[in-house]
Amino acid sequence: MNEFILAFRKRRYLWIALGGTALAILAYWFDDPQEPANGGTALGYALGMIGALLILWLTWFGIRKRRYASTVGTLQGWLSAHVYLGVALIVIVMLHTGFQFGWNVHTLAFVLMTLVILSGFFGVYVYMKYPERISENRGGAPRAELIDELEDIDRRSTRVAEGLGADFLELVASGVQRTQLGATLWERLKAHDSSQILVRQDGQTKIVGNAGQETALDWLAEQQSISRDAETAAAIGELSALIRNKRRLLRRLGEDLKLQATLEIWLYAHVPLTAGLLVALFVHILTVFLYW
Amino acid sequence: MRYLIRFITKNAAGDTDHTDKIISAPAISIGRATDQMLHLRDRRARLQHACIEPQNGDIHITTSAMAGVTVNGRSQRNIALKPGDVIEVGANIIRVIEAPAGIDFALSFELQEDVAAEHLEQSWTTPTSGVAGWSKRRIAWSLAILVFIFAFALPSISLLHPGAASFMRGSDLLPDDSWWLAGPVHSAHAATAASCENCHSNAFQRVQDETCMACHSVSKHVAGAAQAVIGETRCASCHLEHNEPPELVKQHQGLCADCHQDLPSDVDLQPAGDFLDEHPDFRVSLLRPTPSPGGGIDWDVAHISLAGAATDDRSNLKFDHKIHLNSDGIITPDGKRVVECSECHTPEPGGALMQPISMDEHCSGCHTLSFDPDDPTRVVPHGDPEGVLQALIEYYSARLLGADPDTIEQRIRRPGASLSRADRDKAAAEARTKALQVAEDLFERRACVNCHEVSKRDDASALPWSVLAVRLTERFFAHARFSHAAHDTEVSSCNSCHAADASESAQDLLIPGIDSCRDCHGSAFARRNDASQTPSTCIMCHNFHFEAKGNYQ
Repeated sequence: MNEFILAFRKRRYLWIALGGTALAILAYWFDDPQEPANGGTALGYALGMIGALLILWLTWFGIRKRRYASTVGTLQGWLSAHVYLGVALIVIVMLHTGFQFGWNVHTLAFVLMTLVILSGFFGVYVYMKYPERISENRGGAPRAELIDELEDIDRRSTRVAEGLGADFLELVASGVQRTQLGATLWERLKAHDSSQILVRQDGQTKIVGNAGQETALDWLAEQQSISRDAETAAAIGELSALIRNKRRLLRRLGEDLKLQATLEIWLYAHVPLTAGLLVALFVHILTVFLYW
Repeated sequence: MRYLIRFITKNAAGDTDHTDKIISAPAISIGRATDQMLHLRDRRARLQHACIEPQNGDIHITTSAMAGVTVNGRSQRNIALKPGDVIEVGANIIRVIEAPAGIDFALSFELQEDVAAEHLEQSWTTPTSGVAGWSKRRIAWSLAILVFIFAFALPSISLLHPGAASFMRGSDLLPDDSWWLAGPVHSAHAATAASCENCHSNAFQRVQDETCMACHSVSKHVAGAAQAVIGETRCASCHLEHNEPPELVKQHQGLCADCHQDLPSDVDLQPAGDFLDEHPDFRVSLLRPTPSPGGGIDWDVAHISLAGAATDDRSNLKFDHKIHLNSDGIITPDGKRVVECSECHTPEPGGALMQPISMDEHCSGCHTLSFDPDDPTRVVPHGDPEGVLQALIEYYSARLLGADPDTIEQRIRRPGASLSRADRDKAAAEARTKALQVAEDLFERRACVNCHEVSKRDDASALPWSVLAVRLTERFFAHARFSHAAHDTEVSSCNSCHAADASESAQDLLIPGIDSCRDCHGSAFARRNDASQTPSTCIMCHNFHFEAKGNYQ
């Protein structure tokens, strides 16, 4: 999403949402229901009905966005309205409650609705900001290009390592194999590098962490310092340079994964909470009339 | 344990080669995580997928993965391995081979180099769901089902059977139908509200009047025209539960004013609307004494507007508030002191109205009905003129004929002899004369006349004086509710409403008019217009239900 969505048709839906909200507030202010304001007065029923229909309509967006052949408005228009009317919903439903809350299924529906809308705010924010950040981080290239580059570095460093002997080859090959970014959701969101590497220490091969290729670079630096001929030292230097390049590339990829995951993660709250809200809304309406 | 892993590679020509790796460790971990000893680059493998370890002398493969691990084509959770077994995890094939000398257990593993890059790419580009192991749809269904179970299904059990209801409501952990409460229940209904069905007797039907009437018996407003307007109104349309703040009695102005502001011409009532400027002047219930045909007095109640004339209090009592409230004090049996209003006007137990005034309780402390300075504790009875004379005659007869050494009998009787008939008559006549003298003093000068209207007849009746009966009004505003207790505040004293300290006559009606109330009580909408006034709706002082005789059976 970009600003175009929020500014769609000269902010048409912003004005509609503002107008509707203002109408609801005015009606609430001038309404004199002869009892504490609540969902059961005439205005309460009206606001509740509008709120429930809005919720159903807002949920319909999840279906409309997949109907590529639909010509009922443009998808940009739908999204613009989805955002603005979603914000208006909070006000309308708050007035419907008459600001009466408690530990009950009715307030549960309100809380779920509020969480859906708050997660939506986060969604609007990331959809506004993150696409730009993502392409900035990738330097304008698609992610596949970064991966191609990574594979090229892996291939070249394997070739250099082959000339340096078995220990170097094992290090580089295991480093290539055990490179890992974003293995879990948490690691993905934190841009955590969980790469490992096999290192020969005291005649034993051990699996040790290789975040940021530090272990590999340290080991290579040590080998370079004890190497006796200039040719070997130069080859190790070349290998180190390649691994440093790989480190830079991995940082970018890690950041890319993080941005991408953040861009998607809010939907994991927004969509399931909506499902919870629909059930809670149904229970709310049913139980209010069950014990009328 | 010493393990051997044989990594088999294929070159471009299709020839195979292998590298052996010997590992000394208690177990071999297999999985997608990079710290696994056998690292599988396959998204179908879990981070820690399986483990090969010794168990009871055998080497077993174990897994906590839901799908298990495939050994020889069958899914297994924990099975002993022997040479020749084939283990599959995703696309990876691990074979158990004969262990060479010095090795406890050996595996061969074919590196899938060609798929590695593809899987690497996949693990970076797949949506977050693949990593989290939870799809949006799965979370959505779980949450929806959870909400349905806890918000509806479990509480619904209360609907099935009274036993089930009491079980659910008795449990602290299980959700019962109290989760459906839309708001608090008024404390007056706390006991009833323990079970929803006590009021909500039929599902999807509003609370019925009969349900309220099971405990409450209350009259409707009035018969006739008003009944036709409000006859169909349900109890619960005014007495609303489950609101915050709990407001069991509707306070709204419209409840009364909607009809009373603009009454039909044939209704004999003054129109009444907002208290600030649409309320008629107070009409006070005053007693009007009229002589009754059989002698004595009939007390009629007249409703008289405070704004009009003839609002004098006709109690037949003579009383001067000003003298009694003298700020220099008055003489009492305890000496000279200032008398407080509350010494005579004590509130009822509820604090609303004042208890009736009585001579015995409130006046006789100072106004004793004694008559003989030599015997100050001796008093005549109050409220019984005949009794007064009778008591005096008896007193003086006893004085003249009794055992007292000063009595006539003692003076003229010889010891051992009794009084003659003539002497007795003479003494009785003397006692009666004395009694009448004292009575005249009491009735006309010293006692009765202070507070009562006393008249004397010139006929020869036994008791020449008559005292006009007194009756004090106990309730001046019969159709309004007023609580003294509610008005006992720091800013108000008795005098701020009742101008008693300036009243010299009991005829002064010390009941405040509507203007006095309006000093503090304002319009129903005072909150919006004038914050210094208390918003006052009709229900604050008036009852809706007519002539309610207590609303509890």
